[in-house]
Amino acid sequence: MKNNSKRKRSAGKIAGTVLKHAFLIIMSIISIYPVLWVVTLAFSPGESLVTPHFILGFIPIPATPTLEHFISIPQLHLLAGATFPVWAKNSIIITVSSVALSVALTLPAGYAFSRRRFRGQQASMFSFLLPSMFPGVITIIPQFLLFSDLGLVNTYLGCIIPYSVGSLSLSVFIMKGAFDSIPRDLDEAASIDGAGEMRTFYRILLPLTLPSIATVALWAFMGSWLDWALANVMLKDNTLWTLPLALYDFIQPNYTYYGSFAALSLIMAIPVFIVFLVFQKYLVTGLTAGSVKG
Amino acid sequence: MVLYPFAYNIYVSFTNMSVYHIRNPAWVGLANYVFVVTSPDFLTVLWNSVVWTLANVIPTVLIGLVLAFVLNSKVRGKTIYRLFMIVPWAMPSFITLLVWQSMYSTQYGVINALLGQVGIAPINWLNDCNWAFVAIVVANIWLGYPFMMIIFSGALQSIPNELYEAAAIDGAVGFRQMRYISIPLIKPTIMVAVLLGSIWTFNNFNAAYLITGGGPGLCTTILITQAYKEAFNGTFAFAQAATYACLAFVILFVPGILWNRRTGLTRRAS
Repeated sequence: MKNNSKRKRSAGKIAGTVLKHAFLIIMSIISIYPVLWVVTLAFSPGESLVTPHFILGFIPIPATPTLEHFISIPQLHLLAGATFPVWAKNSIIITVSSVALSVALTLPAGYAFSRRRFRGQQASMFSFLLPSMFPGVITIIPQFLLFSDLGLVNTYLGCIIPYSVGSLSLSVFIMKGAFDSIPRDLDEAASIDGAGEMRTFYRILLPLTLPSIATVALWAFMGSWLDWALANVMLKDNTLWTLPLALYDFIQPNYTYYGSFAALSLIMAIPVFIVFLVFQKYLVTGLTAGSVKG
Repeated sequence: MVLYPFAYNIYVSFTNMSVYHIRNPAWVGLANYVFVVTSPDFLTVLWNSVVWTLANVIPTVLIGLVLAFVLNSKVRGKTIYRLFMIVPWAMPSFITLLVWQSMYSTQYGVINALLGQVGIAPINWLNDCNWAFVAIVVANIWLGYPFMMIIFSGALQSIPNELYEAAAIDGAVGFRQMRYISIPLIKPTIMVAVLLGSIWTFNNFNAAYLITGGGPGLCTTILITQAYKEAFNGTFAFAQAATYACLAFVILFVPGILWNRRTGLTRRAS
């Protein structure tokens, strides 16, 4: 009898595992399928759309694989002027600064909203949501006029400031939630042990909220690394261009350079995966494990 | 910095600013609002926006939640699955949306080819009013669920293991842990995700603009694509674009406030 129920449970477990994997595999295929086309284009010769071979009747692979687009990337340029290394450098400078600034602004804000009580708290919290209720593409015009008055058009700062502020509306909420989820008992225990507020913040709250900080950084990273619309307005000079601007330049009204376009877009996605893999550790370890006893 | 563009937009919506009056706009009062609201397309576009938002947010949140739960349970190959799942998010959306557009092609598109293999007649995806709407919603859900998955995974990860252990001692396992521990604890995150997801979707013009261009007719035109067309296509009617933006804002603001009241999003944790 006992044995039987145990066997039943393990059969259920196996069925559950199989179901899980089936679901995950189907979702994985759906997730990567359109990108397989980009990969196929990137590894096919020439700049036009190609007819690939198919595996299983629907998974595309290049008919005559080649690395020509990847080899030519360092020299890529359409109009005279900048090339790939310059664009990559611009993208990296702008993105790293935006992420740093964004995290630096988010942490104290999230902390204050979670741990302090002050006048106008709800209103100011809500005001972080206001800008995202406004269609982003439309606010580009006033931002451009303001920045041209400040002389920030055609500078890195012209992008860094809007990017780091732009990700705040979500980030502040994430951090507030993260700080909220840490029991106040910990703060109190730390203060009984003689730790001041700053010390409690750095030594206890920050390590415990690392997963959320990672999410915030990831979010800021994506916002600036992949943005095209704002950069297109702010960075006129093509020696200041970021990678998305360069990429978009391969779609010309009368001709699209599909091969180079696909290859460059894959190169652009690589840092995203690297960043994600690095942050994965923080997203997964669950650093709160073992912090609250009893 | 956060509020300036916003205030400026409200001001612009009361002027006649266009490419001809970019530095010397004149005050025109409510004329833009009257023009926009009484235009015959307005109700259609508004309705499209509402349907668009609901049709996107509900599935993305649900798919994101299920993925987060499955990937947070004991299952092999999490890292590689996660990596696959974030692909839609990791590529610039204007690239993947162009791919979606070609996949929807009636004659050469791979979607119709696949449907053909199981005996379904080709669908005229981008030229049929309803199917075009389905097409952009599906593409946009594809763009949206990885983000929800990441947000929910983060929230699930920050739940202390002790809570699950305590629950297991009390005899709660599997779905009961999910029902009584995970869901209540990540509820604040879900609420934020729903609110922000709705706002973004309502104001997201990429899919509607890049795949169908709002067509056929007005079938896939939402408020934001309409605003963008006014601002950057041909007429450069910035004032009217700003008016659409302000209307979009008002439409989002009221439910936003209500949602906030109901869920206590901005309230201090007790």
